[in-house]
Amino acid sequence: MGVLLESKNISKYYGGIKAVQNVDMTVGEGEIFGIIGPNGAGKTSFFNVCTGNLQPNGGEIWFDGQKITGLQPAQIARRGIARTFQNIQLFNFMTVLENVKIGFHIHEKTNIFDALIHTKRYREDERMTQERGLKLLENLGLSENADTLAGNLAYGMQRRVEIARALALEPKILLLDEPAAGMNPIETRNLSDFIKTLRDKGHTIIVIEHDMKFVMNLCDRIMVLNFGRKICEGVPEVIKSDKEVNEAYFGKSTTF
Amino acid sequence: MYFLEQLINGICQGSIYALMAIGYAVIYGVVGLVTFTYGEIIMMGSFSAFYYFIAFGNNLWMALIAGFITAALVGVVVHKVCYQRFLDAPRYISLICTIGMSMFLKNLATILFGSEMKGMPTFFGGKFISIGTIRVGYLQLIIIAVVIILTVLLTIYLKKTRMGMRLRAVSQDKKAAALVGINVKTTTLIGNCIGCGLGGVAGILLGVYYNSVLPTMGGMAGLKAFSAMVLGGLGSIVGSAISGVIIGVVENLGIALTSSGLRDVFAFVLLVLILFIRPQGLFGKKGN
Amino acid sequence: MIDRIKKLYTDNKTIFLIAGLAAMIALPFLIVKGSVMSIIVKILFYVILASSLNIINGYSGQFNIGHAGFVLIGAYTLAILANFGWPIWVLYIVAGIVTAIIGFLVALPTLRLRGIYLALVTLGFSEIMRLVALNWTALTGGPMGIKGIPSPWFFGLRSTAPHNYYYIVLFFVVICLFTSYRVINSKVGRAWMSIREDDHAAMSLGVDIRKYKSINFMFGAFWAGVGGALMAPFYKFIDSSMFTLDEGFNILSMVIIGGQGTLVGPVVGSVVVNLTTEIFRFADEARLLVYAVLIISMMWLRPQGLAGTSKSVIANRSIRKSKQVLLSKLSGKKEVK
Repeated sequence: MGVLLESKNISKYYGGIKAVQNVDMTVGEGEIFGIIGPNGAGKTSFFNVCTGNLQPNGGEIWFDGQKITGLQPAQIARRGIARTFQNIQLFNFMTVLENVKIGFHIHEKTNIFDALIHTKRYREDERMTQERGLKLLENLGLSENADTLAGNLAYGMQRRVEIARALALEPKILLLDEPAAGMNPIETRNLSDFIKTLRDKGHTIIVIEHDMKFVMNLCDRIMVLNFGRKICEGVPEVIKSDKEVNEAYFGKSTTF
Repeated sequence: MYFLEQLINGICQGSIYALMAIGYAVIYGVVGLVTFTYGEIIMMGSFSAFYYFIAFGNNLWMALIAGFITAALVGVVVHKVCYQRFLDAPRYISLICTIGMSMFLKNLATILFGSEMKGMPTFFGGKFISIGTIRVGYLQLIIIAVVIILTVLLTIYLKKTRMGMRLRAVSQDKKAAALVGINVKTTTLIGNCIGCGLGGVAGILLGVYYNSVLPTMGGMAGLKAFSAMVLGGLGSIVGSAISGVIIGVVENLGIALTSSGLRDVFAFVLLVLILFIRPQGLFGKKGN
Repeated sequence: MIDRIKKLYTDNKTIFLIAGLAAMIALPFLIVKGSVMSIIVKILFYVILASSLNIINGYSGQFNIGHAGFVLIGAYTLAILANFGWPIWVLYIVAGIVTAIIGFLVALPTLRLRGIYLALVTLGFSEIMRLVALNWTALTGGPMGIKGIPSPWFFGLRSTAPHNYYYIVLFFVVICLFTSYRVINSKVGRAWMSIREDDHAAMSLGVDIRKYKSINFMFGAFWAGVGGALMAPFYKFIDSSMFTLDEGFNILSMVIIGGQGTLVGPVVGSVVVNLTTEIFRFADEARLLVYAVLIISMMWLRPQGLAGTSKSVIANRSIRKSKQVLLSKLSGKKEVK
């Protein structure tokens, strides 16, 4: 199992606040990797460093054998890292299908002149996005909503559209920022199953989550952050029995 | 020597721009919206002084007060029509409203006052002080003094009075201000009126400085105020004042080097250049 | 009612388009008066100008308020090169290309800027262009403007009369709307809209924001240039006072009144605005008051524009909510009756 994404000694400061401090992480191909930690532990900041939305104050990110620190988010996306956002960032006033079509952006070769005279390239691209877009929506159970404006969907559905959109990139690795937030238990379980099927199809996935149960059941390995530092890493059983993690999460003298 | 004189002209003109920019900064700070009606507020202030002089004689100080009040009253109308309803709406809505309002006021003024240029009375009989070979007009000194005094008064008002503190609170965070029991609606209205009033005073100074008023004078003045306010870091009073003076000086030195037709070119080239080099304006904080 | 008209249109799109085009082609045969025809030609100019601004403001969400500057470049390019004897038909396109290049140069610094700062740069650009045109007498005739701009040959005729020139403008209007439609319904258009909706999300999907913003600016500027170039031979005379900031605001108002972010919006906007101002021409100076009131009341009653949906990105939420409350109250009343 090769290493796909690696962070080396990543730090991110906001003024005097150390959001992320010297975090090392390796994620192998085909893994579901969880990042957990209390609120303000620096999970999302760390995520944003990985995707290029934030520049780290120190350290490097390596992806698929290449250094990607310093690249623009769009360049990183093109290398094969897709993500979702903590507070869903859909294109609210575009339809669900259009949202997913933008996900195919990097796979389309059309330029403005192709669009003007409808060249073969344009027609192929349109057919490809249409067919594969609908297929993706079908996989995520969103077929009926293809023509609904994304902003008008229920919360749980919006999460799914966001995942569909990210999958359209055909990423090597998928970063999900609190995908189960705001979902009911049934939706959460469905999501968990869905993520596992994604892994079985060969995707590598990193999940940030609050919901311990969700992460413990889903992830192969877990990293725990607290106050920007990594306090523990390992398979779920190790995390469960780690004293420091329990203290960080539940306060002292609580057993998990 | 010619340059030195132009520099002084620039500072004088710049201080009028500064006052306009300060007024704009107060409005932008408190209301939080861009306005294109400000130029017409300036014009209204100027016209109110013109008619004051005709009705009550040439008393500059009383006219300044009358101009302040008139402009503030027009400000109330602008507030009701263009801002109040759209405070939480997408910004372009109120912006388009102010464009409509500006068109309305400009054309109303043309119909009511006539489109031709009107002469303002001359103050201080064109007297000047000579320092060596350089001449500085009394009027210029008075204008600079008025602007400085008003700026100081405004700063004291904002820092020391209860109302001023409320204004600052609202301009920093409307929600938090509402939470601590400030009536955001009224405070916004008052802030807008003060800003408009300052614009009105600046309009009078502009009219007196150039000895003329006309309904279309507001357009360019409003743009200069807007530019200075943006360069000054969106809503910062000190920044706006300094930017206003800089624009005035650059314009007048530019004219000295080339021809007077290019006056506004210098202002706008300066504006575009500065935004190119420092996207957040001269005195704005990064990430604003 | 507007929604019903829209539905009728979408259901019978092809029929409507063909009928509309046929009516447009037949129009000069039905209208005898040259002055009426001039007004229609003017409306067509504004259809191009408003549509081109809509590409920038409505589709990629950038805020350009200095569109008159681009129109000016198009008009002056044609007028100046026509004096050197270039054929007018070629010049329409050349003017568009020159304006697109200028558009790219304006877009370069503005790629880092957003919202109010971008608006201010476009505003400054527009004024700089006007003042240069006013002062560079050797090239632009300065305050005298450029006179005697020739009209193009059209089926063996000099197309000076509005009845003839109409077809030239109509041709470009159709091309403009057609190309806009095609680009918007492609990868490029989707990228523009994604930037408008949420640029962070767009980036995370690999959309090169800078590239697509500049393409957007160039496309909009191209058509603004063509629009300006079309105006010059029709009026036979241009000067810098035709391209003031107010002119830019005028175009902007048409886009907003019609509904930005829709293809029909700018068309509706330019028809409504121009007809209103023409109908009130008898009122002389007061007609601009009417226009001003129209702008303000549109913002109060239908900020998303005549053709915009209430679901549109620009229909603001609070107004939508209050409208819903109002509607439910109204329907409640009906039930009581």
